[in-house]
Amino acid sequence: MKNRGIRMSSLLTLSNLAIVLLILSGAVFLFARTYQQQLIGTARTNSLRTVTQVSSTVNDYLAEINAVMRTLEEEMTDAEKRRTDFFDVFLRTRPDVVAVSTYDPAGNLSHCYSNLGPPTGTRSDGINLSLDLQRLFSEPDGYVSAPHVVTFFQDVYPWVITVVSRLDLEEESGERWIALDISCSDISSYISDSGVGRRGYCYLIDTYGNIVYHPQQQLIYSDLKTEDSVRIASLEDGSYVEGLVIYAVKTLSNGQWRLVGVSFLQEFLTESLRQLGTILLILAALVLLAALLISAVMSAVLSHPLRDLEHAMAQFEEDADRFNYDPPKIAVREIRHLSVSFRDLVLKVQQLMKTVREEEINLRKTELRALQAQINPHFLYNTLDSISWMCEQGKNAEAVEMVNALARLFRISISRGHELIPIRNELQHAESYLEIQAHRYKNQFTWSIDAEESCLDYLCHKITLQPIIENAIYHGLNGLVDDGEILVSIREDGEDILFTVTDNGSGMTEEQISAIMQKDRSDRAGIGIKNVNDRLAIYFGPAYGIQIDSEPDCGTSVLIRMPKVTEEADYEKK
Amino acid sequence: MRKNRLLLLFLLASFLLSACGQAQERSSPYRIYLISKSTSTEFWRSVFAGANAARAEYNVELTICGPETEEDYLGQNRYIEEAIENHADAIVFSAISYTENAPAIDAAAEAGIKIVVIDSDVNSSRVSARIGTDNIQAGRITAAAALDTDAAHLSVGIVNFALVSRNGEEREIGLREELEKDSRVERIYTVNSLTDHDAARMSAISLLEEHPEINILIGLNEPLGVGVAEASEELDLGGRVRVISFDSNIRCIDLLRRGAVSALIVQNPYAMGYLGVETAWKVLEGQSFSPDRLIDTATSIITRENMFTMEGQRTLFSFG
Repeated sequence: MKNRGIRMSSLLTLSNLAIVLLILSGAVFLFARTYQQQLIGTARTNSLRTVTQVSSTVNDYLAEINAVMRTLEEEMTDAEKRRTDFFDVFLRTRPDVVAVSTYDPAGNLSHCYSNLGPPTGTRSDGINLSLDLQRLFSEPDGYVSAPHVVTFFQDVYPWVITVVSRLDLEEESGERWIALDISCSDISSYISDSGVGRRGYCYLIDTYGNIVYHPQQQLIYSDLKTEDSVRIASLEDGSYVEGLVIYAVKTLSNGQWRLVGVSFLQEFLTESLRQLGTILLILAALVLLAALLISAVMSAVLSHPLRDLEHAMAQFEEDADRFNYDPPKIAVREIRHLSVSFRDLVLKVQQLMKTVREEEINLRKTELRALQAQINPHFLYNTLDSISWMCEQGKNAEAVEMVNALARLFRISISRGHELIPIRNELQHAESYLEIQAHRYKNQFTWSIDAEESCLDYLCHKITLQPIIENAIYHGLNGLVDDGEILVSIREDGEDILFTVTDNGSGMTEEQISAIMQKDRSDRAGIGIKNVNDRLAIYFGPAYGIQIDSEPDCGTSVLIRMPKVTEEADYEKK
Repeated sequence: MRKNRLLLLFLLASFLLSACGQAQERSSPYRIYLISKSTSTEFWRSVFAGANAARAEYNVELTICGPETEEDYLGQNRYIEEAIENHADAIVFSAISYTENAPAIDAAAEAGIKIVVIDSDVNSSRVSARIGTDNIQAGRITAAAALDTDAAHLSVGIVNFALVSRNGEEREIGLREELEKDSRVERIYTVNSLTDHDAARMSAISLLEEHPEINILIGLNEPLGVGVAEASEELDLGGRVRVISFDSNIRCIDLLRRGAVSALIVQNPYAMGYLGVETAWKVLEGQSFSPDRLIDTATSIITRENMFTMEGQRTLFSFG
């Protein structure tokens, strides 16, 4: 019974927990989704904003370079001497300019102005990367090159970007193009430290996807890093989420370069996810804590009192008489009401049981009293018939004795209305009865009485022995050929008194014994063995009563056990 | 019972929360030492540039040190001791001597320092990862560059390291292996020189004077390469002797442009430096590498023809 089924408090706790967790995880899921969407949106906006900011500074720079280029173009109309003076100042104020060179229509170097010395390098192989004649065929007004090294110095090969422009001078000057080699380091100052997030960065590509500037250019050149720049060059301006990477692309004002911003969603996500995880964890802990608290409270106010009530009911079932119930002080109202009702019920049931028992006893007592008061008419008729017969025969002495015995019998039977009489009197009653019966049965049996003197003053119910003796005569001795014997003995046994009626008659079978012990004698008036036994049990409790030992053809022994009673009042009330 | 359960739950929750809090806290950056063979060559400056790029990217505390010359293994051992004293987390190491640096490296490993070898190996079983040029392969490539000629009879002069260095040994093994396959090769002479361009130049000159039939001259690392290139220039052998040098020293580049040097075997020192520090960081983060499998940084042949292609520029000239 104990381990079967789920305890109510556990069920309540579990269902509470399940519901709360379900709602919580649902909420968290929805929250996370919305959060993620928003996060991606924010990241894209941020990325785009950064790229726009950086592109505007790079645009400014390009505008400045353009302005410089216009100035240089103008300067080229000046005479040789003035040019040298100009470049002295110019190169000093523009450390990012590596070299300014002019070329004739065939692409040969005309002049070169630089802080790095005379352009001697090209003499060994004629290679000059600062002017791309091929490209000038398709873009005759000039172009901005991809990064390359400057080849016309000795012992030094700086990486530059070259801006080439057409010069509109008179034919005879021989100069057609001007090339401005700009160090990449200046662009880096605009781009290097910009980016969204800790790992985000920006880089410059041209429209073909060649990397113009990248904060980790050397890593790319050393094949330690690759950039998907050719594919990105084909994308429109805007922001793109690809997996966990956000690309933001913006074309610069010169139309030849594009700025690409790369940022990593993961950075934002992991940070936010960790925050979310922490919140979740705290929530989950709180929920668990709450659930346990609820379960504790539930247990205290609901399931515990209920279990107590259940237990109490079981106890009540077991032993209703001595059951005592206190309703719990802490419990929900319903259970308190239930408990109080149960207590009232218990009290009522106990009251009822008591009443029923008392009524039963009273009924039995009344019944027994009525029976005691009765005289078996057959017995009286037969006895009077015997007396009459004695008188006719002139056996006056015997007749007197018989009448005396009968008178004694009745006197003791009545006993002035007392229920309990001294054993001495009961013994006299039994003797009178035996006397009368001995006469009637023409001394077919002998009888003897063996009573301990100390017992005689205790009390016993009147007409206790007579029904037993009657049974011995009718069932044991009647029809016996040999002489019958009836022995009545009374003795102490500790706190009890034992009456024994023994005969040597035909005895009884088990069936007969149980019939006698259970059946009311309906055929004849007066008290039977069952009545004697019932009376003892009612008055003194189940430990007392009659025990019959019988063996067919050997005889019967009837044992009556009752407590020592000294005052009638002691037991009258029970 | 109930009380215990509650208590347990509370403890669990607080533990998890504190674990969360701890995860948020970043530990102090790893302390990594890079001990090079030299601090004066362009090769090593490029290694340092790569290492610094990785330092910035992985937020580590990087100390770069190395002796003046490529013979001072004792100086290297002193730097190793210094790293141990300063409780370095990892050493990115390039050994001058395969054998003489080994005890110091073992001692460092004993002190719990992770060892990552770049460029040049050391005889230690405690190395976590090896990064650098596959030197036998580099030797074979050198041979291929050397044999790319129409001459019918070839005599080869090799200027190699004086000290027992794995790099030099392995390069020569790969080089000779390929040279000996070619029937045109008649003689191979090797001279060992200190790794200094002056010493190498002298060794090369005396080798050339001793064996005037030599028409291929090879220097097996940057200083040696510069030395043989200078010797070729000094003796004006441009047209007659095919000179093969190692690495992208600016002198060699100029000599390559002028034709005094026929080809440069260029390693990727920037990648060595970068990958060295990156790998050290990864090892410290618990990643494991197979120390027997070299993480190969590419080696390429640069000639006059390809030196100013985009690839050639990227290989020869370091950016910014």
